[in-house]
Amino acid sequence: MANSAYRPLETGCNYGRKYVWELPVRVSHWVNAVSVTMLFATGLYISDPILAPNGEPYQHFVMGRARQMHFLFGYLLLFSFLLRVYWFYAGNNYARSGFPRVWKACWWKDVRGQGLQYLRLERGHVHLGHNAIAGLTYTIFVIFLGWFQILSGLALYSESNPGGFWDKMVGWLIPLFGGSFTLRMWHHTAAWGFVVFVIPHLYIVLYDDRQYKNGLISSMLAGFKFYERNDLDHDRWIS
Amino acid sequence: MMKRRSSTYDLLRDHGVDRRTFLKFCTTITAAMGLESTMVPAVVAAMENKPRIPVIWLHGLECTCCSESFIRSSHPIAQDIVLNMISLDYDDTLQAAAGEQVEEIRKRIMKEHKGGYLLAVEGNAPTKDGGVYCTVNGESFLDILKETAADAKAVIAWGSCASHGCVQNAKPNPTGAQPVKKVITGKPIINVPGCPPIAEVMTGVLTYILTFDQLPELDRVGRPKMFYGQRIHDKCYRRPFFDAGQFVESWDDEGARKGWCLYKMGCRGPSTYNSCSTFKWNNGVSFPIGSGHPCIGCSEENFWDNGPFYQRLSAIPVPGIESTPDQVGKTLTVLTGIGVGAHLVSHVARSAAKSYSKESAPPAGGEEERK
Ligand code: HEM
Ligand code: HEM
Ligand code: SF4
Ligand code: SF4
Repeated sequence: MANSAYRPLETGCNYGRKYVWELPVRVSHWVNAVSVTMLFATGLYISDPILAPNGEPYQHFVMGRARQMHFLFGYLLLFSFLLRVYWFYAGNNYARSGFPRVWKACWWKDVRGQGLQYLRLERGHVHLGHNAIAGLTYTIFVIFLGWFQILSGLALYSESNPGGFWDKMVGWLIPLFGGSFTLRMWHHTAAWGFVVFVIPHLYIVLYDDRQYKNGLISSMLAGFKFYERNDLDHDRWIS
Repeated sequence: MMKRRSSTYDLLRDHGVDRRTFLKFCTTITAAMGLESTMVPAVVAAMENKPRIPVIWLHGLECTCCSESFIRSSHPIAQDIVLNMISLDYDDTLQAAAGEQVEEIRKRIMKEHKGGYLLAVEGNAPTKDGGVYCTVNGESFLDILKETAADAKAVIAWGSCASHGCVQNAKPNPTGAQPVKKVITGKPIINVPGCPPIAEVMTGVLTYILTFDQLPELDRVGRPKMFYGQRIHDKCYRRPFFDAGQFVESWDDEGARKGWCLYKMGCRGPSTYNSCSTFKWNNGVSFPIGSGHPCIGCSEENFWDNGPFYQRLSAIPVPGIESTPDQVGKTLTVLTGIGVGAHLVSHVARSAAKSYSKESAPPAGGEEERK
């Protein structure tokens, strides 16, 4: 069954098209992309508010607005993550393809193969799901780091409403990290992790899109990836 | 004991405090505890009738600023009120007795009120080398603390030293000083942090225990919620400037003169739980932020290690990294950029070299493009 999914069209045609990213995956990707960008920008502003409005305080709400935006996109990111977690289970196999299968030899082989391919500037074979390295970076830099930001952010957020809902849910994180000050510092430090992720992410997505010419970038918009007979590197761990 | 232990009110009368002053004190302290005015009679009744709680007050490695703060408890003109509110049976700094007599008193209270006395601890215990860095009468404070806590009803950890460790426990902590919670187990511990804690907070905690015969409700880190439930930042009178985005940028700028928010000067108000912005200090005269100085977070764990005080974020607390989050982040970003750049450059160079060597051959694979 899994095989038929990969086989080029039965007609004997050399090219095929496959629906890989279902709507929730795409929606969550773009909500994440926008939210993370906004969270990073507003977060850095909160940490160093450089605008200095003149006049009386009642006339302005600059810092207040930056924090409001930060919280708004914070909530968006949370809902997007929840949607993506649900879709990890409910979605198709590609929705699970990024998970690092560290216990499978074929996964390690792909890490190696894909790594060498990038280093030697070679063109490898097309993956329909995520390749092993891509999946690994999404897991570390987006899932782990993302949940850390969301949870630590919510813990800081809970401080303005002691005893409230978020305090009960995640307030325990504050003493765990040695106090509110230290937790903020880690929240701030972790923010840079996204920059470290996004730079190569954008580069590699553009690079692979050009190398494979398989509609990689548009696949995150429309959901389809294209492929050629004998050009598939089957994501063996997902079947 | 011989007869009924006298109540606080009995003692105050003996000291010549009039009823009016007494009632005023009860009202103030009720408000300070965050209770409704209908609770005033309950507080008055407790003061009048309940025998005072016997208290042993120990001093470990410390600077005595908590005692200093305590004896300046503002409200009652007669500072007696505070000193007599509880039965401060043993306090090696404040009591009249000296020498062996003192130790005798401590032992006696421990026996007579077994399980009934409160142990108030100011300062903390060095634990390295058997606790030799703080000894009283030839005994290590560590042992005295453990011994006295064993039969106490509860332990009150006064100040940041006893609650969190404070300066003695700051890196590199050569004497291994540890807060009460790390030394005493199996006893209720009430942490009353601050360097020092506000006098009204100290009396408030004691009044609560006396009035309701129970320990106040504590938060996650063992602090009484009624005094440490909110951040300085949430009750700060400069908060409107924070929300507006108006910040002091240097000690003598226009913003400083106008009383703008001290956030950019390193104010720890957004991460400090204390009552300074409500009670203020010295009889409600002012508090640091009121005088144009940022909060240094004296009631928070590790506040000495979270310096410099006039900087918003400190260096990352990882050994070997002496940089702020932004320095670390920018360095990593640049390194990533260099890596990606190097890949791009080698890719372009390689493609150029390839197309050069294949100059004569027809260009390959152009027809796939149909997007
Ligand atoms: C304009 C900017 C962006 C573009 C064009 C883009 C494009 C893509 C593409 C084409 C994929 C699929 C790659 C594959 O097949 O392996 C992908 C996956 C992914 N991208 Fe982006 N991306 C962008 C920004 C971001 C940002 C800012 C983030 C988050 C910080 C992000 C996080 C992810 C994640 C987590 C996945 C995996 C998706 C999943 O399995 O749910 N992307 N991106
Ligand atoms: C990609 C995700 C995020 C990034 C990059 C990010 C970044 C930042 C940064 C750089 C700061 C400034 C820290 C400082 O210097 O004090 C900050 C503060 C904060 N963030 Fe986030 N954040 C993210 C997600 C969240 C989320 C999901 C929440 C939850 C609502 C949140 C809540 C907060 C809060 C409450 C503050 C403190 C604001 C204040 O005290 O005024 N953050 N964030
Ligand atoms: S001065 Fe400090 S506590 Fe007051 S609003 Fe500004 S940051 Fe908050
Ligand atoms: S304002 Fe901050 S530093 Fe000052 S006494 Fe209060 S908690 Fe301590």
